[in-house]
Amino acid sequence: MKIIIAGAGAVGTHLARLLSKENMDVVLIDPDEDKLSKVNNDLDIMAIPIEPTSLSGLEHAGVEDADLFIAVTPHESKNLLCAALAKKLGAKRTVARIDNYEYMKPENRQYFTELGIESLIYPELLAAKEIADSAQFSWVRQMWVFGEQKDLVLLSVKMHDNHPVADKEIGNPDNLLVGHTLKEIGQKHGHAFHVVAIKRRSETVMPYGDEMILPRDLVFFMANREDIATIRHLSGKDDYPQVRRALIIGGGKLSVRADWELPDSMSLKIVEPSLERCEQLGKMTKERTLIINGESHDMDLLNDEGFGQLEAFIALTPNDEENILACVAARRKGVRKTIAQVENLDFLDMAEDLDVGTVINKKQIAASHIYRMLLKSDVDTMKMLTVADADVAEFVVKRGSRVTKSTVMKLGLPRGVNLGGMIRDGRAMLVGGETQLQEGDRVVVFCMAGMLKRLDRYFK
Amino acid sequence: MNWKLIIKVIGILLSIEAGLMAVCMLVGFCYGECFYPFVWPTLGTCAVCLLCRLLGRNAPSSMSRKDGYLVVTLSWIAFSLAGMFPFLLSGSLPDVASAFFETMSGFTSTGATVIDNCDAQPHSILMWRSLSQWIGGIGIIFFTIAILPAFGVGEVKLFAAEATGPMHNKVHPRISVTAKWIGSVYLLLTALCIVSLLVCGMDVFDAVNYSFVTTATGGFGTHSAMLHEVFHSPAIEYVLSFFMFISGVNYTLIYYTILRGHIRRFFHDAELRCFIIIFCSITLVCTLALLSERTDFAGLTIQDLPEFFSTLELSFRESLFTVLSLQTTTGLASCDYTTWPIMLMPPLLFVMFAGACSGSTSGGFKCVRWSIIFRFVRNELRRILHPRAVLPVRMNGQVIQPQVIHTLFAFVALFTGSLFIGAFVLAFFGVSPDAPREIFDYEDALGLAMSSLSNVGPAMGYYGPAHSWAILTPLAKWVCSALMLVGRLEIFPVLVLFTRSFWKR
Repeated sequence: MKIIIAGAGAVGTHLARLLSKENMDVVLIDPDEDKLSKVNNDLDIMAIPIEPTSLSGLEHAGVEDADLFIAVTPHESKNLLCAALAKKLGAKRTVARIDNYEYMKPENRQYFTELGIESLIYPELLAAKEIADSAQFSWVRQMWVFGEQKDLVLLSVKMHDNHPVADKEIGNPDNLLVGHTLKEIGQKHGHAFHVVAIKRRSETVMPYGDEMILPRDLVFFMANREDIATIRHLSGKDDYPQVRRALIIGGGKLSVRADWELPDSMSLKIVEPSLERCEQLGKMTKERTLIINGESHDMDLLNDEGFGQLEAFIALTPNDEENILACVAARRKGVRKTIAQVENLDFLDMAEDLDVGTVINKKQIAASHIYRMLLKSDVDTMKMLTVADADVAEFVVKRGSRVTKSTVMKLGLPRGVNLGGMIRDGRAMLVGGETQLQEGDRVVVFCMAGMLKRLDRYFK
Repeated sequence: MNWKLIIKVIGILLSIEAGLMAVCMLVGFCYGECFYPFVWPTLGTCAVCLLCRLLGRNAPSSMSRKDGYLVVTLSWIAFSLAGMFPFLLSGSLPDVASAFFETMSGFTSTGATVIDNCDAQPHSILMWRSLSQWIGGIGIIFFTIAILPAFGVGEVKLFAAEATGPMHNKVHPRISVTAKWIGSVYLLLTALCIVSLLVCGMDVFDAVNYSFVTTATGGFGTHSAMLHEVFHSPAIEYVLSFFMFISGVNYTLIYYTILRGHIRRFFHDAELRCFIIIFCSITLVCTLALLSERTDFAGLTIQDLPEFFSTLELSFRESLFTVLSLQTTTGLASCDYTTWPIMLMPPLLFVMFAGACSGSTSGGFKCVRWSIIFRFVRNELRRILHPRAVLPVRMNGQVIQPQVIHTLFAFVALFTGSLFIGAFVLAFFGVSPDAPREIFDYEDALGLAMSSLSNVGPAMGYYGPAHSWAILTPLAKWVCSALMLVGRLEIFPVLVLFTRSFWKR
């Protein structure tokens, strides 16, 4: 599949990296040669220094036989223009990154389809939705949903130490999972969920029955939507309060979008250092939101604004370090839910170690969104997300493939691969050892990085 | 340094060599020769492969830049070490230095030989020499980039280390596909060359061998004598000239011309023009010089005209063949050019140095660099007249980054540096001190160093196409082998291994 990416910025290079690892033919175009040479030395792609809006340039990049054209330059109008041009020149599918909420509205979609732009992506909006989701499920680190009914879910939950006996009377619920092996948990609590991976410090473990869940593990559960409550109870997260008061530091575009996505019932404050920006924010945000002019690292100010009483603290300043540190400080103060925007991919692991809570990365969100779009188009299998060091992929079971021949237990799948759940006839089901896969099942697979290729032969 | 991965990659590469040896074993078997000199090396190489694969199992698949450079250099050395055993076991070459020299000369597609009488060698050994050049010509690594991704090894870093030269353009977004296309062009050229030679009346074995060494711009022959004395066929010489020329052209350009039909692009390429200008002008000079030596213009009459034209044709054919052979660094010889007038030696030395196009199988300095230097110097002259002019160096319509020009000048310095250091060492230790002056001279030392560094094959003076290099001392053979390797990899990938910061953590 040939994919042309216009714009070698953060999202563009990240996408190029991911797609080239999937053996796609990636052509990256950008007028800035310095940006390209950085990428060209590391990745198996073709980098061409041309202006994405130049017709001859697009032809040179081979747009006439491109299967997908992704416009992710920093300029919205340029993205729209070059995506439209690419479509006219023969690209099969076009995607443009935009920066305007109006364009995303369903009633306006048609204008862009007429221009030749099939899909629009708005990373800030996607990120804002993820912030809103994770604020509502405050006890979950991250959540992904699969299937049309969205009833197969993947959750990551941080395991905490059990409290000493003395505290128990106060009403801190027990974590019923820590200290038990998966086999024991299965026997005791039934098979309502499936532990597909465990992230222990910076290492990812594909668990088997004898793996024990330890304190401070980040556990990935796959479950039916109805069973989320069971997981919450067993992980001892019943005491997580519903988020009623939240505070955002940083008043950028993402904060405005998050403000719109968070429910009205939530009381929200935004702290922003620039007075001018504060005035703008006042016009753009919902009425219930309180805009506060001040530095985000001003602890006195934050304390005045009820830092300790918050249920959620969201750090969205342009500075990664500040976001991480602010979240650590908020945790110290007893805020249960903290969300930090971290744009530098190298910091992601570190943020995990520092117990920052949920980490939002616009690039990853945008990239996995485009992945999913590819999945919908014509590719049978596609890596969708990278969680910890593991890849999550959705496979469609083909007629007569090896997986249909026997039950999952007897397949002899390689180590480091875990079939989490599947969607059969639109319904979500978990995959266990006794499950027999059938043609047409969509199986969600969890596997260690680099194992995907080996799985192909089981599904083809 | 990811040693496990390096060992694994070298193991994979060596399995190719084992396969090639098996082919030669088969050739020996078919001709009813004693093929056991290939049995043990084949088995041994297989064993080493398995050992490498065993040692390198579960290697982390991330290859750093340093690993890439190390793999490239090490693989050439490993290939030459493994490939010298057939020569030693068959008794074709008695000592390790000679056998290593011969193999390195093969894998770097140089073509300098230390075998005095090729005609007396068994077919399997001759085939082994040609095959080593053929696989070395396209670049062992480049050839394998098409295969390596199946093993999940970082081919990007290998490509960066192997495809040196100032500019490289891919024909496809993915390197492995690019490598496959370039490989197909190479196969196509080889096949065409075999067919053309068969049509001209060569026998199958010679046709295959000469095609292998011509498309690889190598130059190992199956006969020690001059081509004209062996075949007496002008057609063969013209065919070989043509294929030497094509093999000296950038393969990306050939791909676009033949497989994509971009004919215009072929004739507008600045590097190719530079190549054509150099070889045409030197061919012209040689033809005229030979003609004037061979005919007496003052006594020319109408009756002499047919003879005059046949002399003209002969001079032209010999000049064309020799200039192309030396410039594309093939090193085949249809006649002994060392007997030509002395004034032609500097131009011939120059074409040896000049080389053909980048991205081809040829060695040497490469025309793309001449072209850039020419444009750069022209700009500098223009700047004297227009001190405030902004003058970017353009080539094929693209502006060349200053960084590329800096690298180019570093390359010039290193190339000439290696040349002179090689010449000094050879002048000291080239032959044993009691050898007569006719056999070894300071010019010969320079010629040997130039021929090795540019991967040409024959050199000047005594070491021209008429004689082998067998007379050199073992030390001189090692030095020449090193120069060939350095020249083949275009210096930087080898020299970078000798920097302190390469080995620092």
